[in-house]
Amino acid sequence: MKEIAKVSLQNEMDLILSHRRSMKLAELAGLSLSAQTTFATAVSEVARDVIDNGINGYLVLGIYTATPQKSVAAYIYDSRTNLSLQAPALQNARKLVNRFQYTGTPEASCIEMYYHLPTVVRQLDQKITEWQEQFNYDAPISPYDEIKRKNEQLQELADRLKASENQYRVLTNALPLIIFTLNRKGSIVYANNWMHTYTGFTPDQINTANWKQVLHPEDYSSFYSLLGDIVTTQAGNLKLQCRIREAHSGSYIWHQVFVAPLQEVHRPDDYFIGYIVDIHAQKEFEQASRDNTELKATQQRLKENELELTQKIHQLNRSNNDLEQFAYIASHDLQEPVRKMIFYSDYFSKQYAHLTDNKGSIYLENMLQASHRMRNLINDLLSYSKIRKEVTSFEQVSLQKAAGIALQDLELTIKEKQAKVTVDVLPVIEGDFSQLTQVFQNIVSNALKYSKEQEPLQLHIYPETDNTGMVHLHFKDNGIGFDTRYLPKMFTLFQRLHGKDEYEGTGFGLAICKKIVDLHNGVIDAVSEPGKGADFIVSLPETQNKKQ
Amino acid sequence: MSSAIKILLADDDKEDQLILSDAFEQIGITNVVHFVDNGENALRHLEQCYVENALPQLIILDLNMPRMNGTQTLRLAKKDERFKHIPIIIYSTSLNNIEKDECIRLGAHSYIIKPLTFSEYVKSAQYFYNLCSTN
Repeated sequence: MKEIAKVSLQNEMDLILSHRRSMKLAELAGLSLSAQTTFATAVSEVARDVIDNGINGYLVLGIYTATPQKSVAAYIYDSRTNLSLQAPALQNARKLVNRFQYTGTPEASCIEMYYHLPTVVRQLDQKITEWQEQFNYDAPISPYDEIKRKNEQLQELADRLKASENQYRVLTNALPLIIFTLNRKGSIVYANNWMHTYTGFTPDQINTANWKQVLHPEDYSSFYSLLGDIVTTQAGNLKLQCRIREAHSGSYIWHQVFVAPLQEVHRPDDYFIGYIVDIHAQKEFEQASRDNTELKATQQRLKENELELTQKIHQLNRSNNDLEQFAYIASHDLQEPVRKMIFYSDYFSKQYAHLTDNKGSIYLENMLQASHRMRNLINDLLSYSKIRKEVTSFEQVSLQKAAGIALQDLELTIKEKQAKVTVDVLPVIEGDFSQLTQVFQNIVSNALKYSKEQEPLQLHIYPETDNTGMVHLHFKDNGIGFDTRYLPKMFTLFQRLHGKDEYEGTGFGLAICKKIVDLHNGVIDAVSEPGKGADFIVSLPETQNKKQ
Repeated sequence: MSSAIKILLADDDKEDQLILSDAFEQIGITNVVHFVDNGENALRHLEQCYVENALPQLIILDLNMPRMNGTQTLRLAKKDERFKHIPIIIYSTSLNNIEKDECIRLGAHSYIIKPLTFSEYVKSAQYFYNLCSTN
């Protein structure tokens, strides 16, 4: 049956309403006036009985659309289960309609009455919809009808609301997020099941402890003060990311807490509504992406620093190179005029000595000596600037051979000074032959220079090896020695411990040695005491790392 | 003295040319040294001598010269079939062992450091002359 109108059956007014509506439907359905009256009378008979004797009765009017016989239909419901069909009213009604039927369930009874439609109604379904609208929106038949209608609508709404609330409750309980409402004081009024499932505490327990047991200690104060704010002002939102303790694992998980005042208060106690949702994954992702960004920034900075460093090294190398080039070219070009000065002053003193007096000869001699000193200086500067990484070539060098050549060059001085130089068996190492020969030459010539006047020089050159891959060459003498606190100065350019008049020299010798040893990735050091001889120690690696 | 002796000396230093001339004069030798002031001119002179069939018996080269230095001249002369038999002496201020080694490797007869005194110049002149006579 397609339902068109509904009337509850409680009092006399309802009976009148039932009759009128039955008439109206029959009229709309195209029944004749007598048929209308007959149908309405049948409905009234049953309705009266239900109003008088029944419980929670109501009438539903509609059209029975099943083929072949379409009818206007009236269903009258009654909560009674012991309804007697023998009642005179029902017997009367039964005679008035085409079909009379009784259905009973354990909860209620229903009397169905059908009155056949006389003709075929075209587009019946569409008509039914129109009739439904007419019954719903037609001007009420009476003030009672109006109140009744409104009451019915209200009841229906309430029922629907209740059903809807139940649905929502089921829904919120099924959700894996905490939903709750708070009263004006900020206490939890309602919370879905998830609050208890997740935190392990009931809303009452949480209220008592003011949320303390569920929030991370570090987040608690900011949460509590924000909650206090919205409770005091009764406005604004609480929006906070904080860690909530999960009862199951005992660990704190990042959540987003949101509390806002309800727009319309539906229940007397609800004032705020809130939810707490797990954002741990998001939080971790944020952290990871932040870490990643920081890492990238650090890498970028590192790259920039590296570039800057490379540029600086490059600049430094270039200026170093420029300096060495300059020193080389300058000293090379300086040599020529100095040589001429020496030549001419020598020539003059020999060929034209008779033209000057004694003083003139002495001055000329001084000039010659000064020129010689300058020549030595330039030569040493040239030697120093020639020792460069670019011209250093490593090969297998017999230190024995290098020492031999150095001593051969110094043979004359050694003989003159009656010095005794002993060389032990020296190893073969990787290095630059001419540079290493120069190291021998400079240290031995130093020893010769700084020997004691009354005691001939005794110089012992011997190697010492250890298992670190280094060869330590000792140059141990019985010379005048020195105070080791001057050691750093001795390896620096132009540093001399003695005045020019005491000992000849430019002060380049040891600086050159240090530069060579540095290029060989070695170390030069000395042990000495004034008057007690010196022991120069040159430590060189047996092999050179090709990458250097 | 034999006038057949001929020496080619390339040096851009005019004073050195003069001093060496004096030194040769000291031992009684004149007009045997032909002076040029760079390597290019030295090679040009050699070409000309070859045409005239009068090649020098000794070549003396300074190292530091404009346009073409001593090392380059030495390399080219020693590659040339016409000149490679002529002994070449490097006569330089440079005490650099690397340069010296390079010149010997390229086929220089010897490497002589320019003297500081006139008497040493005279000795040099004598040495050069003797070298020519024995060849």
